[in-house]
Amino acid sequence: MDELGKIYQLIVPFMGHDLAFNIEVIAMTWIVIAFLVIFAFLATRNRGVVPNKVQVIGEFLVTQLYALTEDALDEELAKKVAPLICALFLFLALSNYLGVIPFLEEPTKDLNVPLSLGILGFVLAHFFGIRAKGFKAYVKGYLEPFFILLPLNLIGEIAKVVSISFRLFGNIMGGSIIILVVSHLVYSLVLPPFLNLFFGLFVGTIQAFVFTMLTTVYISVQVK
Amino acid sequence: MDLHVYINAASVWGAAISMLLGAVGAAIGEGYTAACANEAISRSPHRAGEIFKSMLMGQAITETSAIFALLISMILLFTNVGSDPITPYVLISAGLCMGLGSIGAGIGSGLPAGACCLGISRQPEMSDKLTTNMLIGSSIAQTTAIYSLAVSLMMLFLNLSSHPVSPTWAAVVGAGLSVGLAAIGPAIGEGMAAKAACDGIARKPQASVQITSLMLLGMAVTESTGVYGLLISVILLFKSFAATTAIAPAMALLSAGLCMGIGAIGPGIGEGYTASAAIKWTGRNEKGAGVITRTMLVGQAVSESTGIYSLVIAFIMIFVV
Repeated sequence: MDELGKIYQLIVPFMGHDLAFNIEVIAMTWIVIAFLVIFAFLATRNRGVVPNKVQVIGEFLVTQLYALTEDALDEELAKKVAPLICALFLFLALSNYLGVIPFLEEPTKDLNVPLSLGILGFVLAHFFGIRAKGFKAYVKGYLEPFFILLPLNLIGEIAKVVSISFRLFGNIMGGSIIILVVSHLVYSLVLPPFLNLFFGLFVGTIQAFVFTMLTTVYISVQVK
Repeated sequence: MDLHVYINAASVWGAAISMLLGAVGAAIGEGYTAACANEAISRSPHRAGEIFKSMLMGQAITETSAIFALLISMILLFTNVGSDPITPYVLISAGLCMGLGSIGAGIGSGLPAGACCLGISRQPEMSDKLTTNMLIGSSIAQTTAIYSLAVSLMMLFLNLSSHPVSPTWAAVVGAGLSVGLAAIGPAIGEGMAAKAACDGIARKPQASVQITSLMLLGMAVTESTGVYGLLISVILLFKSFAATTAIAPAMALLSAGLCMGIGAIGPGIGEGYTASAAIKWTGRNEKGAGVITRTMLVGQAVSESTGIYSLVIAFIMIFVV
C-alpha cells in the first residue's frame, strides 16, 4: 500500500523558480509514443492492395475514427480534424492499457496529462470556432441569449475543460486504486487479473472513446 | 468518562446505524421483485414454479447488501478493534459507510430481478438467457456496496494510532460518508439499466447479445461516480494530515467526503436513466445500435459533469484548504 500517491519528481532550479518534472509520467508517455510510432511504421511499411496483418488493424482504426469524426463535423473540417482525433484516441487508449503491464503506470493517472489534452481540445475548438464564424460572431455567442449571461457562458466553457479532464483522471486513478486496495486485501490472489481486465482494458477503452468523442463534440458546437 | 466507555457506546451505535440503514434498500428491492413475481404468475400460472425459482434467486442476490451490513454490525459488536482515541470515530464511520452503501445496491438489484420474473412470463423460452442476464446485472449493481464493505473493513483494521486525532477523525468520518453516499446513486442507476436489459431481451430475443453488451457498457459508465467516491475516501484514509487543533481543516476534510458523496447520487441515477433508455430502444430497433450507443456515451458523460465538479471541489478541500 506504500506506493499509493507516491510521485517521483525531478526538481530543476530555473531563474529563481523550481521546475518540477514528474519523471515517471514522462517516461511512460514516451513508452506510449514509442509503441505508437512502431505500430505506425509497421502498418505503413510494405503497403499493398492486399494488406498485411498490421496494415489491416491500422486501416480499420483509421476508417472507423474518420467515420466518427465525419458524423459530428462537416466533411471539409472533418478531414482536417480527423488525424488529430485518431492520434488522440490511440494515445489515450494505449495510455490507459499501459497499467495492465507490471511495473508500468498509466500516464493518464497523473492529472497533468488529461488536463493538458483537455486544454489542447479547448484551444482547438475555439480556434476553429473563430475561423468558421469570424471573431465578431464568436464574441457575440457569449452574449446570448442576454448579455447578463456572459459570466455564466464563460464559466460553462471552463467547466467543459475541467469535466473532460477530471473524468479521465478520476476513472483511471480510481480504477488503479481499486486494483491496489483489492489486491492488498486478497493478498494478490485470483482477483487482480480480472480487475486489470475490467479497469485497464474495458474502462480504459470507454474513457478514451468518451474523451475523443467529447473533443469532437466541443469542436462541432463551436463551429456551428 | 474514560475512553473505553466512548468506544463501547460507539460500537453499539455503529452497529445499529449499519444495520438500520442496510435493511432499508434490500427490503424495498425484494418487495419489488416479489410484486413482479406475483404479476408474472397471475399472467401465466402454469409457469409458477420457474418464476418462483427466479424470484428467489433474484432476492438472494438483493439480500447480499443487507448481509454485508449485518457482517459489519457483528464485527462492530463482537470484535475488539482497538483502544485509541480515534477508535470511536472509526466505529461510527464504518457503520455509516456500510449502511449507506447498501441502500442503493438493495434497491438497484431488486429491479432486474423483478423484470426477469415478468420477462419469463412473457417469453418462457428465453428463461435461461433472462436469468443469466439478471444474475450479471444484479451482481454488478452490488459493486458499489462491495466498495463500501472494502472501505469499512480497511477502516476497522487500519492502524491509525500514529495519526493525530484532531484532523484524522474528520478524515475518517468523511471517508465513510464519501463512499457510502456515493454508492447509492450508481447502484440505483445500474439497476435501472439491468431492468431495461431484462425487459428488452424478453421483448426481442434475437437482439439479446447486443442488449447484454450495451447493458455492460452502460453500467460501467454509470459506475464512475461511485469510483470517484471510493477515490476520495481512499485518499482521506491514507493521506497523513498535520496535527492541528483548529476546526477549519477538520471541517474541510469532513465536507470533502460529504460533497463527493452527495454529489455522486444524482449523476448515478441520471446516467442510469440514459443507459436504460438506450437499452430499451436498442431492444426495439437493433439496427440503430451504433448511433444509440454513441449518443448514450456522450449523454452519460455530460450528465456525469456535476459529479465531476463535486470531485474537483473535494480535491480542493483536501489538498488546498
